[in-house]
Amino acid sequence: MKRLPFDYAVRNLGRSRLRLAATIGGSALVVLLVVTAAAFVQGMRRSLTISPDSTNVILLASGSEESVERSQIGNSVPSHAIAGISGIREELGTQFVSPEIHMALVVSREAGNPEELRTVLRGVTPTAYLVHPQTEIIEGRAPRQGHDEIMVGQLTHEKMGISKSDLAIGESLWFDDRPWEIVGHFRAPGTVMDAEIWMPLTDLQMAANNEELSCVILTLDTAEFADVDAWTKTRLDLELVAISESEYYASLQRFYRPVQLMVWVTAALMALSGLLGGLNTLYAAFSARTREVGMLQSLGFPRRAIFLSILQESVLAASTGALMACVFSWVLLDGVAVRFSMGVFQLSVDSGATAAGLVAGVLTGIVGSIPPALRCLRLPIPSALKAT
Amino acid sequence: MAFIECRNLTRTYTRGTNAITPLDDLDLDIEEGMFLSLMGPSGSGKTTLLNLIAGIDRPTSGSLTIDGHNIANSSKSELAAWRSEYIGYIFQLYNLVPVLTAYENVELPLLLHGLTRKERHRKVSAALDLVGIADRHDHYPRQLSGGQEQRVAIARAIVTDPRIIVADEPTGDLDKSSARAILDLMQSINRDLGRTLIMVTHDPHAAEWAQKTLHLEKGRLVEQDVPQSTTAGAT
Ligand SMILES: Nc1ncnc2c1ncn2[C@@H]1O[C@H](COP(=O)(O)OP(=O)(O)O)[C@@H](O)[C@H]1O
Ligand SMILES: [Mg+2]
Repeated sequence: MKRLPFDYAVRNLGRSRLRLAATIGGSALVVLLVVTAAAFVQGMRRSLTISPDSTNVILLASGSEESVERSQIGNSVPSHAIAGISGIREELGTQFVSPEIHMALVVSREAGNPEELRTVLRGVTPTAYLVHPQTEIIEGRAPRQGHDEIMVGQLTHEKMGISKSDLAIGESLWFDDRPWEIVGHFRAPGTVMDAEIWMPLTDLQMAANNEELSCVILTLDTAEFADVDAWTKTRLDLELVAISESEYYASLQRFYRPVQLMVWVTAALMALSGLLGGLNTLYAAFSARTREVGMLQSLGFPRRAIFLSILQESVLAASTGALMACVFSWVLLDGVAVRFSMGVFQLSVDSGATAAGLVAGVLTGIVGSIPPALRCLRLPIPSALKAT
Repeated sequence: MAFIECRNLTRTYTRGTNAITPLDDLDLDIEEGMFLSLMGPSGSGKTTLLNLIAGIDRPTSGSLTIDGHNIANSSKSELAAWRSEYIGYIFQLYNLVPVLTAYENVELPLLLHGLTRKERHRKVSAALDLVGIADRHDHYPRQLSGGQEQRVAIARAIVTDPRIIVADEPTGDLDKSSARAILDLMQSINRDLGRTLIMVTHDPHAAEWAQKTLHLEKGRLVEQDVPQSTTAGAT
């Protein structure tokens, strides 16, 4: 009821350019930090998530549950698994059993080039496309065995830190002292595979001088995870451990949680220091209005009416900054690739990240205006009226 | 009982162990409809007394009864509501809101009165007319001269039709001719509207416009009411 007109708050925005710039800029900074942190965590989480209806089970060497790359299992495991486990998915007589070798390798773009580009190579057989249905060849074709051919994911260049054109079809990468021609591009959106290099299993085994497999991935049909788990325990001679694919990714998530936490903490600390810096400007701008606040009180406006008006003013400015930051992040941040040890993920400015940013912006407006407003309103009216 | 009655009115400020008493055990009666001027050297307690009567400060001890109510006992929020009904305050430095037009500045106190837009419009227009500045209603304070600003401020002080108008050195920042015009205006508001008017000034010429002048020194009245001509002008 006893309120100052909203218009008064709006027009007050134009009163001090410094204050307006500080509020809009400060809130934009806070929002940008929050959105970036949220987009980072969200993007990383997405790349480490497998669709929840995945019925894949990964067979690894027992003791190497933490790292597929370190795992070594025998070449005969796939046939043992097919023989020993019933209920594996099957189509047109082909069992969904994918023997794979995963290897972190250093490659270069030219012979004798000392550059060391770190990549993850995955040696696969045609069944890999069955157990990884996310994978889709978007250009060219799959590499043929024995022809020194490879194919690359759509984010592989990001992981290697080179330009996309370096991995165009027809280009080559050098490892094992020879060039491997890129014959295809694939994508597996939102998974770590998106940044890998794929090639025929036996080619990679020969290049790496390794007769073994890293893992075998099975897609279950009627079988349960427990059946696979039980089978590995009846075949202790194979020294296997079974992990459901979703559990494997969940453990990766847990592994990266401290990183995500650190990102949040860093963003929060930076946002806080921005907020404290901005408060100084706000103090100065509001203390210039002390006499006016005294006058409004002398007219009979309750303190909370004046407080509300100051709050409206600040939230308006802060929301403007927040919107600017959100638009900026949609245009410039969304999809930006970030390299990490598991591959590459893309910042994901989704509705959650945007909402978190907007909430942070409005909170900045509220929190930023409370201390100066209180300082202004705390003064007895006669003292406020004496202010210069 | 007088319209405004101060009994043993005392205001003390304590800062650490220091105590200043700008208003010391003051007794004063002011009749309704009076144009009173308060004079005295700087620091003698004029503003302190004015602020107590205007209900923006509260006495340390003593009573201050206005229209039968002892406002010394009112809470802050009761005082705020009381002010919006009883008091119009005119400041030395006008205190207009720079982002509001003359019209909107005058309208401000009416927003506390639950009036329709139309009723507000009628009152604001009448007040602007009365102070002779209706043609500047859409001007912002920075587009007005000091004298015009003070006219707008006077319109703001009278627009709610308060029983008491207080003015703290209303001509202190104006040149001679603007000051005279403002004093003329205040005198006619007192005479034509019958409003009680209390004006602080340290200009003896300005004080001559009032019906009565009181002198304060170190928080006490030093000289009792010497009656003055009600039509006096500046010399
Ligand atoms: N808020 C305050 N705190 C301490 N001292 C004050 C305060 N307000 C006024 N005073 C003191 O009270 C005395 C009278 O002040 P005031 O009523 O403003 O005098 P004036 O007659 O010039 O209007 C002065 O000495 C002033 O310093
Ligand atoms: Mg004074």
